[in-house]
Amino acid sequence: MRQMLVESLKNLFSKPATVEYPFEPSPPPSGYRGVIVYRKELCILCTKCEMVCPPGAIKFTYNGDGTKDFHYNPYLCIYCGECVRACPKPGCLTHSQITAPPATTVPDWDSLEKEAEESKKAWLASKKKKN
Amino acid sequence: MGRKITIPFGSQHVALPEPVRFVFQTENERITDVDVDVGYVHRGIEKACMTKFRYMQVGYVVARVCGLCAISHTLAYVTAVERLMGIEVPKRALYLRILVSELDRVHSHLLAMGHLAEVAGYENLFMHTFRYRELVMELQELVTGNRIQFDYVCIGGVNRDLTPEVEKELRKKLKTLKEKVFWLKDVFENDYSVKYRWKGIGVITERMAKELNVVGPPARASGLATDVRNEFDYLPFKEVGYRMVVRNEGDVYARNMVRAEETVNSLEMLFNVLDGMPEGSIKVNVKGLPKGESFIRVEAPRGELFYYLKGNGKMVLERLRIRVPTFANIPVMKELFVGMEYADVPAVVISFDPCLSCTAR
Repeated sequence: MRQMLVESLKNLFSKPATVEYPFEPSPPPSGYRGVIVYRKELCILCTKCEMVCPPGAIKFTYNGDGTKDFHYNPYLCIYCGECVRACPKPGCLTHSQITAPPATTVPDWDSLEKEAEESKKAWLASKKKKN
Repeated sequence: MGRKITIPFGSQHVALPEPVRFVFQTENERITDVDVDVGYVHRGIEKACMTKFRYMQVGYVVARVCGLCAISHTLAYVTAVERLMGIEVPKRALYLRILVSELDRVHSHLLAMGHLAEVAGYENLFMHTFRYRELVMELQELVTGNRIQFDYVCIGGVNRDLTPEVEKELRKKLKTLKEKVFWLKDVFENDYSVKYRWKGIGVITERMAKELNVVGPPARASGLATDVRNEFDYLPFKEVGYRMVVRNEGDVYARNMVRAEETVNSLEMLFNVLDGMPEGSIKVNVKGLPKGESFIRVEAPRGELFYYLKGNGKMVLERLRIRVPTFANIPVMKELFVGMEYADVPAVVISFDPCLSCTAR
């Protein structure tokens, strides 16, 4: 009891244990698993990241000419880092140090998922025809 | 003859960190009957693991069952799959798994101790406990990359290696933490306001614990020497200085002291893990599909966690069954409440450290 009283009195005059965040920066530690960053110029379009992603936050849409577009939903992402580890090109997918996703609205993800599926089917069908 | 009153306790209550509902029938503040509902946060995770997710992804899904014992769930699932597929995990990976699982135990036990102080009305001690818990949270963030959802363990090893800088920081902060935990243990042990509030409240006898299948710290506080770390070889705990903590009183105070002593033991183990960390790879490549049945028991911070797994050689599992420690402790809670004063209920509920996200999943 006395011990706690002494400790409490000490705490009245000591520095706060918390970071005074809006006035002081609160940087995440090195190696923090933040928002995924994609670099298009390094991507070989193998779609491995799309296959391993547990919540399905990465989707590729297939264009008519055989190229693919990468789509990422930071609000669906669980930041497990599976895509970063699955990526065969080092540096293509990386974790950034950004702790919160950007405050922009994501384009309609439901219709994007549908579009990705349909475009993949169309692409596979056209590939079959060629063979 | 007194008046009979029905008192609902939960699902939202100031003393409860998680949604569980008890309905007490009381007579002159003495409880005569109890009804429990644990299904407030059901999310259908078991079903999702059997239909939607492939077996490599399930480890990340079951991690979301509970925030406090995230590593235990993934560890149990991953070990079950490894046993099923006959994968030999590197020694370094096993040691790293012990490291994170013990860090997790420290933070969970400190949370339970803090909450118990809070429901006893001792806000000051609660604040102190949570301040020192923050050190563990920082270490977890440093080692795994996130404060709570570690996603550290994967099938065949672990996802991230321990760098020398992180190890140096770990040793430094763990040393501070150890001093603080010894101080906290001393306060929890000797402070007379907590001692008189908790001694002799909610006593579970050894016989009762055995009959009603109590697990985890409540069982060990009643003199029942049961710990999966001692009984099942899922990780080499005995190499790093594990010792079982058993007390005989069986009351709220004893449960808290078991947690405090286990925290100290976990910290000792963490130093031993860092000292004896073997060299080598942290991951092996996994090929093939799970076929057959396997079950695994893991000591989560709250007690024995059980996983049953059935694969039929396909990408998606046929069956996944989770039995969590809180669910095993519900029957004894019901038994305890009958005949108890209503005022003691919050302390007794929190002394079991109930985790309803696990129970309902």
